Amino acid sequence: MLKRFAIAAAILGSLPAVALAHGPSRQKVEESVEINAPAAKVWAVVGNFQDMSWVPAVAKTEGKGGNKPATSQASNDGATRTLTLKNGGVIEEMLDDYDAKDMTYSYEITKVDVKVLPVNDYSSHITVTADGDNKSTLEWKGAFYRGYMNNDPPPNLNDEASKKAVEDLYKSTLAAVKAKIEGGK
Amino acid sequence: MRISLRFSAAVAVLLFGGLQSAALAGEALTTNQPDDSLSFVDLTAMKEVARIKVGGKPAGIALSPDKSRAYITAPDSKELVEVDAVKRIVVRRLKLGGGPLGIAMHPTKQEIYVADWYTHKILIIDAVKFAVVGEIAVGKSPSGLAVTPDGSLLLSADRESDAVSIIDIASRKRIASIPVGKHPFGITIDPSGKRAYTANVKSDDVTVIDIPARKVIGHVPTGRRPYVVALADGRGFSTDQYGGSVTVFDLATLAPIKKIRACDHPEGIEADSSDSNVYVSCWGDDVLLRLDPTALKITGKAAVGDGPRAFGKFLR
Repeated sequence: MLKRFAIAAAILGSLPAVALAHGPSRQKVEESVEINAPAAKVWAVVGNFQDMSWVPAVAKTEGKGGNKPATSQASNDGATRTLTLKNGGVIEEMLDDYDAKDMTYSYEITKVDVKVLPVNDYSSHITVTADGDNKSTLEWKGAFYRGYMNNDPPPNLNDEASKKAVEDLYKSTLAAVKAKIEGGK
Repeated sequence: MRISLRFSAAVAVLLFGGLQSAALAGEALTTNQPDDSLSFVDLTAMKEVARIKVGGKPAGIALSPDKSRAYITAPDSKELVEVDAVKRIVVRRLKLGGGPLGIAMHPTKQEIYVADWYTHKILIIDAVKFAVVGEIAVGKSPSGLAVTPDGSLLLSADRESDAVSIIDIASRKRIASIPVGKHPFGITIDPSGKRAYTANVKSDDVTVIDIPARKVIGHVPTGRRPYVVALADGRGFSTDQYGGSVTVFDLATLAPIKKIRACDHPEGIEADSSDSNVYVSCWGDDVLLRLDPTALKITGKAAVGDGPRAFGKFLR
Protein backbone atom coordinates (compact mmCIF):
# COMPACT_ATOMS: atom_id res chain seq x y z
CA MET A 1 0.00 0.00 0.00
CA LEU A 2 2.72 2.42 1.05
CA LYS A 3 4.74 1.42 -1.96
CA ARG A 4 1.80 2.20 -4.21
CA PHE A 5 1.55 5.67 -2.67
CA ALA A 6 5.25 6.24 -3.20
CA ILE A 7 4.93 5.30 -6.86
CA ALA A 8 1.93 7.60 -7.30
CA ALA A 9 3.83 10.45 -5.63
CA ALA A 10 6.81 9.87 -7.89
CA ILE A 11 4.60 9.96 -10.98
CA LEU A 12 2.90 13.16 -9.84
CA GLY A 13 6.26 14.73 -9.03
CA SER A 14 7.53 14.00 -12.53
CA LEU A 15 4.60 15.73 -14.24
CA PRO A 16 5.54 18.99 -15.98
CA ALA A 17 4.59 22.26 -14.28
CA VAL A 18 1.05 23.44 -14.93
CA ALA A 19 1.19 25.85 -17.85
CA LEU A 20 -2.30 27.32 -17.48
CA ALA A 21 -3.26 26.84 -21.10
CA HIS A 22 -6.95 27.36 -21.75
CA GLY A 23 -9.23 24.63 -23.11
CA PRO A 24 -8.76 23.50 -26.70
CA SER A 25 -12.27 24.35 -27.95
CA ARG A 26 -13.55 27.90 -27.92
CA GLN A 27 -17.25 28.01 -27.06
CA LYS A 28 -19.78 30.14 -28.89
CA VAL A 29 -23.10 31.41 -27.57
CA GLU A 30 -25.47 33.51 -29.68
CA GLU A 31 -28.84 34.59 -28.35
CA SER A 32 -31.25 37.16 -29.70
CA VAL A 33 -34.71 38.50 -28.95
CA GLU A 34 -37.21 40.38 -31.07
CA ILE A 35 -38.51 43.48 -29.34
CA ASN A 36 -41.61 45.42 -30.34
CA ALA A 37 -39.94 48.82 -30.15
CA PRO A 38 -37.83 51.04 -32.43
CA ALA A 39 -34.13 50.12 -32.56
CA ALA A 40 -33.12 53.54 -31.19
CA LYS A 41 -35.22 52.92 -28.08
CA VAL A 42 -33.57 49.54 -27.47
CA TRP A 43 -30.10 51.01 -28.09
CA ALA A 44 -30.87 53.75 -25.55
CA VAL A 45 -31.33 51.00 -22.95
CA VAL A 46 -28.38 48.72 -23.82
CA GLY A 47 -25.95 50.99 -25.71
CA ASN A 48 -24.17 52.68 -22.81
CA PHE A 49 -21.07 50.71 -21.81
CA GLN A 50 -21.12 52.38 -18.41
CA ASP A 51 -24.62 51.18 -17.56
CA MET A 52 -25.34 47.46 -17.29
CA SER A 53 -28.50 47.96 -15.22
CA TRP A 54 -30.43 46.19 -18.02
CA VAL A 55 -28.86 42.90 -16.91
CA PRO A 56 -30.95 41.66 -13.97
CA ALA A 57 -27.97 39.88 -12.36
CA VAL A 58 -26.01 43.16 -12.13
CA ALA A 59 -26.39 45.30 -8.97
CA LYS A 60 -23.91 48.06 -9.82
CA THR A 61 -21.78 49.33 -12.75
CA GLU A 62 -18.71 51.43 -11.98
CA GLY A 63 -16.30 52.47 -14.71
CA LYS A 64 -14.33 55.08 -16.55
CA GLY A 65 -13.66 56.19 -20.10
CA GLY A 66 -17.30 56.43 -21.21
CA ASN A 67 -17.87 54.66 -24.51
CA LYS A 68 -14.35 55.13 -25.82
CA PRO A 69 -12.65 51.98 -27.10
CA ALA A 70 -8.87 51.49 -26.95
CA THR A 71 -6.99 54.00 -29.15
CA SER A 72 -4.33 51.62 -30.39
CA GLN A 73 -4.66 47.90 -30.31
CA ALA A 74 -1.91 47.08 -27.85
CA SER A 75 -2.50 50.04 -25.56
CA ASN A 76 -5.30 48.49 -23.47
CA ASP A 77 -6.58 51.99 -22.72
CA GLY A 78 -10.22 51.40 -23.67
CA ALA A 79 -13.10 52.31 -21.37
CA THR A 80 -13.42 49.92 -18.45
CA ARG A 81 -16.21 48.90 -16.12
CA THR A 82 -16.51 46.83 -12.99
CA LEU A 83 -19.77 44.96 -12.53
CA THR A 84 -20.88 44.00 -9.05
CA LEU A 85 -23.45 41.26 -9.22
CA LYS A 86 -26.43 40.86 -6.91
CA ASN A 87 -24.80 37.69 -5.55
CA GLY A 88 -21.66 39.67 -4.68
CA GLY A 89 -19.52 38.47 -7.60
CA VAL A 90 -17.32 40.97 -9.44
CA ILE A 91 -16.47 41.10 -13.16
CA GLU A 92 -14.00 43.51 -14.76
CA GLU A 93 -14.45 44.38 -18.43
CA MET A 94 -12.89 46.53 -21.17
CA LEU A 95 -14.44 48.09 -24.27
CA ASP A 96 -12.84 46.91 -27.53
CA ASP A 97 -15.02 48.50 -30.18
CA TYR A 98 -17.98 50.89 -30.18
CA ASP A 99 -20.16 52.07 -33.06
CA ALA A 100 -23.28 54.07 -32.12
CA LYS A 101 -24.31 54.44 -35.77
CA ASP A 102 -24.41 50.67 -36.31
CA MET A 103 -25.72 50.22 -32.75
CA THR A 104 -23.08 47.69 -31.76
CA TYR A 105 -20.21 47.35 -29.29
CA SER A 106 -17.77 44.66 -28.30
CA TYR A 107 -15.98 44.11 -25.03
CA GLU A 108 -13.91 41.55 -23.21
CA ILE A 109 -13.70 40.30 -19.64
CA THR A 110 -10.33 41.22 -18.18
CA LYS A 111 -10.88 39.61 -14.77
CA VAL A 112 -13.40 37.17 -13.37
CA ASP A 113 -13.34 34.35 -10.85
CA VAL A 114 -14.57 31.09 -12.39
CA LYS A 115 -16.87 30.78 -9.37
CA VAL A 116 -18.69 33.90 -10.61
CA LEU A 117 -18.76 32.97 -14.31
CA PRO A 118 -16.94 29.78 -15.42
CA VAL A 119 -15.14 31.26 -18.44
CA ASN A 120 -11.66 32.26 -19.66
CA ASP A 121 -10.68 34.64 -22.46
CA TYR A 122 -14.26 35.83 -22.87
CA SER A 123 -15.17 38.39 -25.56
CA SER A 124 -18.61 39.56 -26.57
CA HIS A 125 -20.67 41.62 -29.02
CA ILE A 126 -23.97 43.41 -28.35
CA THR A 127 -25.93 44.54 -31.42
CA VAL A 128 -29.31 46.13 -32.07
CA THR A 129 -30.79 45.76 -35.57
CA ALA A 130 -33.92 47.52 -36.85
CA ASP A 131 -36.67 45.33 -38.34
CA GLY A 132 -38.84 48.14 -39.66
CA ASP A 133 -39.85 51.23 -37.67
CA ASN A 134 -41.35 49.62 -34.59
CA LYS A 135 -39.53 46.34 -34.29
CA SER A 136 -35.94 45.44 -33.59
CA THR A 137 -33.65 42.56 -32.70
CA LEU A 138 -31.25 42.62 -29.78
CA GLU A 139 -28.40 40.15 -30.16
CA TRP A 140 -25.76 39.09 -27.61
CA LYS A 141 -22.86 36.97 -28.81
CA GLY A 142 -20.09 35.51 -26.69
CA ALA A 143 -16.83 33.68 -27.42
CA PHE A 144 -14.91 32.09 -24.57
CA TYR A 145 -13.06 29.07 -23.25
CA ARG A 146 -14.29 26.83 -20.44
CA GLY A 147 -13.65 27.70 -16.79
CA TYR A 148 -11.03 25.00 -16.25
CA MET A 149 -7.54 25.68 -17.49
CA ASN A 150 -5.68 22.55 -18.63
CA ASN A 151 -6.80 19.11 -19.68
CA ASP A 152 -9.59 16.87 -18.32
CA PRO A 153 -11.88 19.42 -16.61
CA PRO A 154 -14.17 18.64 -13.66
CA PRO A 155 -17.90 18.60 -14.63
CA ASN A 156 -18.65 22.04 -13.13
CA LEU A 157 -15.98 23.74 -15.24
CA ASN A 158 -16.13 21.78 -18.51
CA ASP A 159 -17.21 23.04 -21.94
CA GLU A 160 -20.89 22.17 -21.42
CA ALA A 161 -21.12 23.79 -17.97
CA SER A 162 -19.41 26.99 -19.14
CA LYS A 163 -21.62 27.23 -22.20
CA LYS A 164 -24.75 26.67 -20.15
CA ALA A 165 -23.82 29.41 -17.65
CA VAL A 166 -23.42 31.96 -20.44
CA GLU A 167 -26.54 30.77 -22.28
CA ASP A 168 -28.62 31.10 -19.11
CA LEU A 169 -27.28 34.61 -18.49
CA TYR A 170 -28.00 35.76 -22.06
CA LYS A 171 -31.46 34.19 -22.30
CA SER A 172 -32.74 35.48 -18.96
CA THR A 173 -31.31 38.94 -19.63
CA LEU A 174 -32.77 39.27 -23.13
CA ALA A 175 -36.19 38.16 -21.89
CA ALA A 176 -36.01 40.75 -19.12
CA VAL A 177 -35.01 43.55 -21.53
CA LYS A 178 -37.88 42.67 -23.84
CA ALA A 179 -40.36 42.71 -20.93
CA LYS A 180 -38.97 45.98 -19.59
CA ILE A 181 -39.07 47.84 -22.94
CA GLU A 182 -42.39 46.45 -24.15
CA GLY A 183 -43.91 47.02 -20.72
CA GLY A 184 -42.92 50.68 -21.02
CA LYS A 185 -41.06 50.62 -17.71
CA MET B 1 -15.95 7.28 -85.37
CA ARG B 2 -18.28 9.94 -84.17
CA ILE B 3 -18.75 8.19 -80.86
CA SER B 4 -15.02 7.82 -80.23
CA LEU B 5 -14.41 11.49 -81.03
CA ARG B 6 -17.02 12.56 -78.55
CA PHE B 7 -15.51 10.18 -76.03
CA SER B 8 -11.99 11.59 -76.38
CA ALA B 9 -13.35 15.13 -76.08
CA ALA B 10 -14.93 14.14 -72.79
CA VAL B 11 -11.65 12.62 -71.61
CA ALA B 12 -9.81 15.82 -72.59
CA VAL B 13 -12.26 17.95 -70.61
CA LEU B 14 -11.85 15.73 -67.58
CA LEU B 15 -8.06 15.82 -67.84
CA PHE B 16 -7.76 19.56 -68.29
CA GLY B 17 -10.38 20.21 -65.67
CA GLY B 18 -8.34 18.14 -63.23
CA LEU B 19 -5.06 19.84 -64.09
CA GLN B 20 -6.52 23.29 -63.71
CA SER B 21 -7.91 22.66 -60.25
CA ALA B 22 -4.58 21.21 -59.10
CA ALA B 23 -2.70 24.39 -60.09
CA LEU B 24 -5.13 26.95 -58.71
CA ALA B 25 -6.11 25.38 -55.38
CA GLY B 26 -9.53 23.95 -56.06
CA GLU B 27 -10.73 23.35 -52.53
CA ALA B 28 -10.56 24.61 -48.99
CA LEU B 29 -11.09 22.21 -46.11
CA THR B 30 -12.32 23.88 -42.93
CA THR B 31 -12.34 22.14 -39.55
CA ASN B 32 -15.62 23.21 -37.95
CA GLN B 33 -14.88 22.74 -34.27
CA PRO B 34 -18.27 23.05 -32.48
CA ASP B 35 -19.96 21.26 -35.41
CA ASP B 36 -17.51 18.30 -35.23
CA SER B 37 -17.21 18.40 -39.00
CA LEU B 38 -15.02 19.14 -42.02
CA SER B 39 -16.37 21.31 -44.86
CA PHE B 40 -15.14 21.04 -48.45
CA VAL B 41 -15.48 24.36 -50.29
CA ASP B 42 -15.19 24.56 -54.09
CA LEU B 43 -13.06 27.69 -54.54
CA THR B 44 -14.14 28.39 -58.10
CA ALA B 45 -17.82 28.49 -57.20
CA MET B 46 -17.11 29.63 -53.60
CA LYS B 47 -19.61 27.08 -52.42
CA GLU B 48 -19.55 24.30 -49.84
CA VAL B 49 -19.87 21.04 -51.78
CA ALA B 50 -19.57 18.49 -48.98
CA ARG B 51 -19.46 18.22 -45.22
CA ILE B 52 -18.33 15.12 -43.33
CA LYS B 53 -18.46 14.19 -39.66
CA VAL B 54 -15.04 14.09 -37.97
CA GLY B 55 -15.82 14.20 -34.24
CA GLY B 56 -13.58 15.14 -31.30
CA LYS B 57 -13.92 18.92 -31.91
CA PRO B 58 -11.54 19.16 -34.90
CA ALA B 59 -9.15 22.14 -34.99
CA GLY B 60 -5.74 21.68 -36.65
CA ILE B 61 -5.24 20.56 -40.24
CA ALA B 62 -2.35 19.56 -42.50
CA LEU B 63 -2.31 18.10 -46.01
CA SER B 64 -0.09 15.40 -47.47
CA PRO B 65 2.47 16.63 -50.05
CA ASP B 66 0.26 15.36 -52.91
CA LYS B 67 -2.79 16.93 -51.17
CA SER B 68 -4.75 13.69 -51.36
CA ARG B 69 -4.93 13.25 -47.59
CA ALA B 70 -5.85 15.61 -44.78
CA TYR B 71 -4.62 15.11 -41.23
CA ILE B 72 -6.77 16.64 -38.54
CA THR B 73 -6.26 17.06 -34.80
CA ALA B 74 -9.26 16.39 -32.57
CA PRO B 75 -8.33 17.84 -29.14
CA ASP B 76 -11.47 16.69 -27.33
CA SER B 77 -11.12 13.02 -28.28
CA LYS B 78 -7.29 13.44 -28.25
CA GLU B 79 -6.95 11.91 -31.68
CA LEU B 80 -5.30 12.36 -35.04
CA VAL B 81 -7.80 11.75 -37.85
CA GLU B 82 -6.81 10.84 -41.40
CA VAL B 83 -9.19 11.90 -44.17
CA ASP B 84 -9.12 10.84 -47.82
CA ALA B 85 -9.63 14.29 -49.34
CA VAL B 86 -10.60 12.90 -52.75
CA LYS B 87 -13.20 10.39 -51.57
CA ARG B 88 -14.10 12.68 -48.65
CA ILE B 89 -14.14 9.97 -46.01
CA VAL B 90 -12.42 9.41 -42.67
CA VAL B 91 -9.86 6.65 -43.22
CA ARG B 92 -8.07 6.12 -39.90
CA ARG B 93 -8.07 7.47 -36.33
CA LEU B 94 -5.14 7.39 -33.91
CA LYS B 95 -5.48 8.01 -30.17
CA LEU B 96 -2.69 10.33 -29.07
CA GLY B 97 -3.76 11.44 -25.57
CA GLY B 98 -2.73 14.83 -24.17
CA GLY B 99 -3.92 17.89 -26.07
CA PRO B 100 -3.22 17.59 -29.82
CA LEU B 101 -3.74 20.92 -31.59
CA GLY B 102 -1.15 22.33 -34.03
CA ILE B 103 -0.15 20.08 -36.93
CA ALA B 104 2.19 20.10 -39.94
CA MET B 105 3.39 17.57 -42.46
CA HIS B 106 6.87 17.13 -43.91
CA PRO B 107 7.13 18.28 -47.58
CA THR B 108 8.67 15.00 -48.79
CA LYS B 109 8.89 12.46 -45.93
CA GLN B 110 5.87 10.50 -44.73
CA GLU B 111 6.00 12.26 -41.36
CA ILE B 112 3.38 14.23 -39.49
CA TYR B 113 4.12 16.51 -36.54
CA VAL B 114 1.52 17.17 -33.85
CA ALA B 115 1.98 19.73 -31.07
CA ASP B 116 0.71 18.69 -27.65
CA TRP B 117 -0.78 21.76 -25.98
CA TYR B 118 -0.72 20.23 -22.48
CA THR B 119 2.38 18.05 -22.31
CA HIS B 120 4.75 20.47 -24.09
CA LYS B 121 6.12 18.20 -26.75
CA ILE B 122 5.78 17.44 -30.42
CA LEU B 123 4.81 13.97 -31.51
CA ILE B 124 6.24 12.49 -34.67
CA ILE B 125 3.81 10.23 -36.52
CA ASP B 126 4.73 7.89 -39.36
CA ALA B 127 2.03 8.62 -41.95
CA VAL B 128 2.27 5.14 -43.52
CA LYS B 129 2.16 3.09 -40.32
CA PHE B 130 -0.06 5.75 -38.74
CA ALA B 131 1.76 5.35 -35.43
CA VAL B 132 3.74 7.60 -33.09
CA VAL B 133 7.45 7.01 -33.75
CA GLY B 134 9.04 9.73 -31.66
CA GLU B 135 8.66 12.90 -29.64
CA ILE B 136 10.55 16.13 -29.11
CA ALA B 137 10.41 18.27 -25.96
CA VAL B 138 9.78 21.97 -26.68
CA GLY B 139 8.56 25.04 -24.76
CA LYS B 140 5.23 25.33 -22.96
CA SER B 141 1.96 24.82 -24.86
CA PRO B 142 3.30 24.46 -28.40
CA SER B 143 0.63 25.68 -30.82
CA GLY B 144 1.36 26.38 -34.48
CA LEU B 145 3.87 24.22 -36.38
CA ALA B 146 5.59 24.78 -39.72
CA VAL B 147 8.30 22.97 -41.70
CA THR B 148 10.86 24.76 -43.89
CA PRO B 149 10.33 24.03 -47.63
CA ASP B 150 13.63 22.07 -47.78
CA GLY B 151 12.32 19.79 -45.03
CA SER B 152 15.28 20.36 -42.70
CA LEU B 153 13.71 22.37 -39.85
CA LEU B 154 10.49 22.27 -37.87
CA LEU B 155 9.39 25.42 -36.04
CA SER B 156 6.91 25.48 -33.17
CA ALA B 157 5.24 28.51 -31.59
CA ASP B 158 5.45 27.77 -27.85
CA ARG B 159 2.53 29.83 -26.61
CA GLU B 160 3.10 29.91 -22.84
CA SER B 161 6.88 30.33 -23.22
CA ASP B 162 6.60 33.39 -25.51
CA ALA B 163 9.15 31.72 -27.78
CA VAL B 164 9.66 29.76 -30.98
CA SER B 165 11.52 26.44 -30.98
CA ILE B 166 13.66 25.46 -33.96
CA ILE B 167 13.99 21.70 -34.34
CA ASP B 168 16.44 19.84 -36.53
CA ILE B 169 14.27 17.22 -38.20
CA ALA B 170 17.10 14.78 -39.00
CA SER B 171 18.33 14.52 -35.38
CA ARG B 172 14.86 15.21 -33.87
CA LYS B 173 16.38 17.73 -31.48
CA ARG B 174 15.56 21.28 -30.51
CA ILE B 175 18.52 23.39 -31.58
CA ALA B 176 17.27 26.88 -30.69
CA SER B 177 14.58 28.80 -28.82
CA ILE B 178 13.93 32.37 -29.93
CA PRO B 179 12.00 34.81 -27.70
CA VAL B 180 9.10 36.47 -29.58
CA GLY B 181 5.99 38.49 -28.59
CA LYS B 182 3.47 37.39 -25.96
CA HIS B 183 1.69 34.09 -26.61
CA PRO B 184 2.62 33.21 -30.19
CA PHE B 185 -0.08 31.01 -31.74
CA GLY B 186 0.21 30.53 -35.51
CA ILE B 187 3.56 30.29 -37.29
CA THR B 188 4.18 30.70 -41.03
CA ILE B 189 7.40 30.15 -43.01
CA ASP B 190 7.98 31.95 -46.32
CA PRO B 191 8.61 30.00 -49.58
CA SER B 192 12.37 30.69 -49.38
CA GLY B 193 12.56 29.15 -45.92
CA LYS B 194 14.43 32.21 -44.67
CA ARG B 195 11.78 33.91 -42.59
CA ALA B 196 9.10 32.91 -40.11
CA TYR B 197 6.17 34.98 -38.86
CA THR B 198 4.38 34.38 -35.55
CA ALA B 199 1.02 35.89 -34.62
CA ASN B 200 1.25 36.87 -30.94
CA VAL B 201 -2.19 36.66 -29.33
CA LYS B 202 -1.43 38.67 -26.17
CA SER B 203 0.89 41.41 -27.50
CA ASP B 204 -1.20 42.16 -30.61
CA ASP B 205 1.70 41.91 -33.01
CA VAL B 206 3.58 39.71 -35.45
CA THR B 207 7.21 38.74 -34.80
CA VAL B 208 9.41 38.31 -37.87
CA ILE B 209 12.26 35.80 -37.47
CA ASP B 210 15.36 35.36 -39.60
CA ILE B 211 15.56 31.53 -39.54
CA PRO B 212 19.22 31.00 -40.63
CA ALA B 213 20.45 33.75 -38.27
CA ARG B 214 18.17 32.51 -35.45
CA LYS B 215 17.17 36.04 -34.55
CA VAL B 216 14.23 38.44 -34.56
CA ILE B 217 14.18 40.98 -37.39
CA GLY B 218 11.22 43.04 -36.20
CA HIS B 219 7.63 43.32 -35.07
CA VAL B 220 4.46 44.47 -36.81
CA PRO B 221 1.47 45.82 -34.83
CA THR B 222 -1.85 44.11 -35.67
CA GLY B 223 -5.49 44.19 -34.60
CA ARG B 224 -6.48 42.58 -31.32
CA ARG B 225 -5.59 38.91 -30.78
CA PRO B 226 -3.85 37.93 -34.01
CA TYR B 227 -4.15 34.23 -34.77
CA VAL B 228 -2.15 33.29 -37.89
CA VAL B 229 -0.26 35.02 -40.72
CA ALA B 230 -0.55 34.33 -44.46
CA LEU B 231 1.90 35.57 -47.10
CA ALA B 232 1.04 36.67 -50.65
CA ASP B 233 2.21 39.20 -53.20
CA GLY B 234 4.95 40.66 -50.98
CA ARG B 235 2.54 41.23 -48.14
CA GLY B 236 1.66 39.65 -44.83
CA PHE B 237 -1.93 39.15 -43.65
CA SER B 238 -2.83 38.50 -40.00
CA THR B 239 -6.24 37.35 -38.81
CA ASP B 240 -7.18 39.47 -35.77
CA GLN B 241 -9.71 37.49 -33.73
CA TYR B 242 -11.08 40.17 -31.39
CA GLY B 243 -10.50 42.94 -33.92
CA GLY B 244 -12.54 41.13 -36.58
CA SER B 245 -9.99 42.33 -39.11
CA VAL B 246 -7.18 41.23 -41.38
CA THR B 247 -4.08 43.41 -40.89
CA VAL B 248 -2.03 43.79 -44.07
CA PHE B 249 1.69 44.69 -43.88
CA ASP B 250 4.60 45.04 -46.27
CA LEU B 251 7.08 42.15 -46.05
CA ALA B 252 10.05 44.30 -47.07
CA THR B 253 9.53 47.30 -44.79
CA LEU B 254 7.31 45.56 -42.17
CA ALA B 255 5.10 48.67 -42.25
CA PRO B 256 1.34 48.19 -41.84
CA ILE B 257 -0.59 48.89 -45.08
CA LYS B 258 -4.23 48.45 -44.24
CA LYS B 259 -6.70 46.93 -41.85
CA ILE B 260 -9.47 45.14 -43.69
CA ARG B 261 -12.75 44.68 -41.83
CA ALA B 262 -13.36 40.95 -42.26
CA CYS B 263 -15.70 39.04 -39.94
CA ASP B 264 -16.29 37.88 -36.37
CA HIS B 265 -13.21 35.96 -35.15
CA PRO B 266 -11.21 35.37 -38.34
CA GLU B 267 -8.85 32.43 -37.74
CA GLY B 268 -7.18 30.11 -40.27
CA ILE B 269 -5.75 32.00 -43.25
CA GLU B 270 -3.80 30.77 -46.27
CA ALA B 271 -2.78 32.06 -49.71
CA ASP B 272 -3.05 29.83 -52.77
CA SER B 273 0.25 28.88 -54.44
CA SER B 274 -0.16 31.44 -57.23
CA ASP B 275 -0.75 34.33 -54.75
CA SER B 276 -4.04 35.08 -56.54
CA ASN B 277 -6.27 34.74 -53.51
CA VAL B 278 -6.10 34.54 -49.74
CA TYR B 279 -8.74 32.53 -47.91
CA VAL B 280 -9.91 33.35 -44.40
CA SER B 281 -11.88 31.09 -42.10
CA CYS B 282 -14.38 32.97 -39.90
CA TRP B 283 -15.10 31.16 -36.64
CA GLY B 284 -17.80 33.57 -35.48
CA ASP B 285 -19.71 33.95 -38.75
CA ASP B 286 -19.38 30.36 -40.07
CA VAL B 287 -18.04 31.42 -43.46
CA LEU B 288 -14.93 31.17 -45.61
CA LEU B 289 -13.91 34.52 -47.14
CA ARG B 290 -11.89 35.08 -50.30
CA LEU B 291 -9.60 38.10 -50.23
CA ASP B 292 -7.79 39.72 -53.17
CA PRO B 293 -4.21 40.28 -51.88
CA THR B 294 -3.49 43.04 -54.43
CA ALA B 295 -6.74 45.02 -54.36
CA LEU B 296 -7.07 44.28 -50.60
CA LYS B 297 -10.78 43.57 -50.89
CA ILE B 298 -13.07 40.73 -49.88
CA THR B 299 -14.23 39.19 -53.17
CA GLY B 300 -16.18 36.11 -52.13
CA LYS B 301 -17.87 34.26 -49.32
CA ALA B 302 -19.02 30.68 -48.73
CA ALA B 303 -21.13 29.38 -45.86
CA VAL B 304 -19.56 26.43 -43.98
CA GLY B 305 -20.29 24.47 -40.79
CA ASP B 306 -20.45 26.03 -37.31
CA GLY B 307 -17.18 27.48 -36.00
CA PRO B 308 -14.55 26.94 -38.74
CA ARG B 309 -10.99 27.15 -37.38
CA ALA B 310 -8.85 25.69 -40.20
CA PHE B 311 -5.72 26.00 -38.08
CA GLY B 312 -2.93 24.97 -40.46
CA LYS B 313 -2.68 24.37 -44.21
CA PHE B 314 -6.16 23.82 -45.55
CA LEU B 315 -6.03 24.54 -49.31
CA ARG B 316 -5.74 21.79 -51.91
